[in-house]
Amino acid sequence: MPAFAVTPEQQDLRASVRRFLADRSPEAEVRRLSDTEQGFDPDVWKRMAGQLGLQGLGIPEEFGGAGAGHVELGIVLEEMGRALLCAPFLSTVGLAANLLLTSGDRAAQARYLPGIAEGGTVATVAVSAAGLPGAGVVARRTDDGWRLTGTEPYVLDGHVADLVLVPARTTAGVALFAVEREASGLGRTLLTTADRTRRQARLTFTDTPGAPLDGGLPAVERMLDLAAIALASEQAGGAARALEMSVGYAKTRVQFGRAIGSFQAVKHLCADLLLESESATSAARYAASAADEDAPDLPALASLVRFSCSDSFVKVAADTIQIHGGIGFTWEHPAHLYLRRARTSALLLGDPAFHRERYLRRTGV
Amino acid sequence: MSATDLRNEVSAWLAAEWDPARPTKEWLAAVVEAGWAAPRWPREWFGRGLSDELGHVVEEEFRNVGAPGTGQDRHNLYAATVLTFGGDELKRRLIGPMLRDEVSMCLLYSEPDAGSDLAAVRTRADRDGDRWIVNGQKVWTSSAATADYGMLVARTNWDVPKHRGITFFLFPMKQAGVEVRPLHQITDEAHFNEVFLTDAAVPDAHRLGDVDRGWGVLQTALAYERSVMGDRARAGRGTTGMAEMGDELVALARETGRIDDPVVRQDLARVAALRLGNGWNNQRAKAEVEQGSSSSVMSLGKLAMSRLLHESARVRTSLAGARAMLEGPDEPVGDEANFLAFNAYFTSIGGGTDQIQRTIIGERILGLPKEPEVDRDLPFSEVRRG
Ligand SMILES: Cc1cc2nc3c(=O)[nH]c(=O)nc-3n(C[C@H](O)[C@H](O)[C@H](O)COP(=O)(O)OP(=O)(O)OC[C@H]3O[C@@H](n4cnc5c(N)ncnc54)[C@H](O)[C@@H]3O)c2cc1C
Repeated sequence: MPAFAVTPEQQDLRASVRRFLADRSPEAEVRRLSDTEQGFDPDVWKRMAGQLGLQGLGIPEEFGGAGAGHVELGIVLEEMGRALLCAPFLSTVGLAANLLLTSGDRAAQARYLPGIAEGGTVATVAVSAAGLPGAGVVARRTDDGWRLTGTEPYVLDGHVADLVLVPARTTAGVALFAVEREASGLGRTLLTTADRTRRQARLTFTDTPGAPLDGGLPAVERMLDLAAIALASEQAGGAARALEMSVGYAKTRVQFGRAIGSFQAVKHLCADLLLESESATSAARYAASAADEDAPDLPALASLVRFSCSDSFVKVAADTIQIHGGIGFTWEHPAHLYLRRARTSALLLGDPAFHRERYLRRTGV
Repeated sequence: MSATDLRNEVSAWLAAEWDPARPTKEWLAAVVEAGWAAPRWPREWFGRGLSDELGHVVEEEFRNVGAPGTGQDRHNLYAATVLTFGGDELKRRLIGPMLRDEVSMCLLYSEPDAGSDLAAVRTRADRDGDRWIVNGQKVWTSSAATADYGMLVARTNWDVPKHRGITFFLFPMKQAGVEVRPLHQITDEAHFNEVFLTDAAVPDAHRLGDVDRGWGVLQTALAYERSVMGDRARAGRGTTGMAEMGDELVALARETGRIDDPVVRQDLARVAALRLGNGWNNQRAKAEVEQGSSSSVMSLGKLAMSRLLHESARVRTSLAGARAMLEGPDEPVGDEANFLAFNAYFTSIGGGTDQIQRTIIGERILGLPKEPEVDRDLPFSEVRRG
């Protein structure tokens, strides 16, 4: 498939996800869930899996999924980004399911992927924006199996995850471990995130038992690239929606006897934001199709979309506040929810400056 | 026809015909003869009736061997405008030479009092039997000194609002009554000119579109021009070739010993993202149009190119450092930085300024309300001049 061609099935997928989210994740729900401890609605989570098969979309059929590609996943994430869906999807699918797949550990895949696909398991990976994978946790072999000790400061949905996959340092380098919900010595502290639609927790491990998985650092790096592309799709969707809000407001808000969108200062800003938003969409979609084709330059592309889609989303969401004037400064208006999502998502999994540098290194510069 | 069959046919043809040493004119003639110059056009008009997607297959094969001449259905705005709006006799006589690059062309649009506001042109064309007599002045006309023809917008009706009294002509430049005076550009070159038209003549058969309906023709011609400007830009001084815009900034950073400077590295990555992003936007626009949906991405290209050119010129200047204080052949690094910084305005002013592009995107793509236009419905003869 050439990049950017869209099949009828993909159009249907987008339409059905959009309908579902309009129904189940309207702004009022987003706000309600933002104020709950759990941060998402388990019933909606179940329906996402049961009605639409979203969690299992990219999981192979033998493990209960649909075996679709990153392009399809990108479509779903664009829609979730538009709706600011409150759900542990990026953590469970973008991080954990991808890591199980890149690990190549068939036993672990058979054990965990079906639960993820059917919407029973919430999972995450203990990687932080702050450091390299495995920086925070040390694993030690004992007579009684592996024990993990350390802290990961910013783990996506760490407060609710049934399964935590942990990259940890061993004497032989970074290795992967699976830690289940009730494991002893696992401490979870829910953090107050600026973006309340997406939760993070500090996880502490104190002699916590972990089951070793195949696949070391390369599996984590690969997963992070795929997650970067998933996140870029979500950012592109968020940017597109924020721009729609701006344009919609510019058409209806009247000052000086004219719609403010007829003033060039506003109109031209909107045109620039369209360039940002569409460029983010094109880049995210291109990277997703490169992931499906297993393109050799995928690592470079992943870093490129991490910084470019982050920058675009922040710009669009920030100017959306400005275009809305005073109402945009109110808690009740949704504009700030997008800016919070944009600012935070720019810092997940490495910030833009980090990824600009990394992009160059990955292209051999 | 399948893409594979076509690919094979084109590459076999190129294998038999293409030779970089072949004289350009002769090569172009062969390309036109074979129907590859404008493969998306109908067979009776020099083409092969291919879909847009298959047209790209042809372009790709030509690109692979470095052969010029195809894709003119997208790039040759002159031939495309004549094909769309010209009479059969004119098309038969001129499209072939245009595709073979045997006639050179210019755009007689802008005037001293009509730049962004092109509908305000005052150059007049008055009917005289089966021809028109033209009087007035054009300005910023690139390549006017060498052109055989100019695409001319002239006023043919002064008693109706400005958009409704303009007619579009393919105007012969080589005649008494046309005086071309070169203008000295900020790049120290002289590509654009003033053109004075005094009782010059153009046959009615050279009219493109109906009398007083030239504004619509102009919109089509401008769309071609802007799409070309969104796709490509001049590579550098002393070349008319188009920029590949690959990693030349990286090469320069190495050459100037700045490749490890973290500030420079951030800039290099930013420019790379702009460059690749434009390419992906263009690819996506093509795919969306091919799939029959209108594409909002299409109209962003020129603005995006302008941003990329200005930004990469800025980075180039910072890489050149103090050397950018100098110009000329003894200081090629500084010279190129200056040239590209100045020439970037070709894209942000020519063909409609960035501001005008933003207005078009805001109004036509985003559907934002138009600004009040005081002169829109007034007869042109009553409109205020600066
Ligand atoms: C290198 C180069 C080559 C060119 N080649 C040709 C050619 O071959 N043929 C040809 O016909 N023309 C050519 N042009 C002319 C070009 O199309 C015009 O210069 C351009 O459209 C702007 O018109 P102007 O120069 O009169 O500037 P103005 O229209 O006077 O604009 C001056 C400033 O005002 C701004 N402005 C004007 N109107 C508005 C508005 N409504 N809203 C917001 N801002 C506005 C502009 O953006 C600009 O910043 C060329 C120009 C350049 C620079």
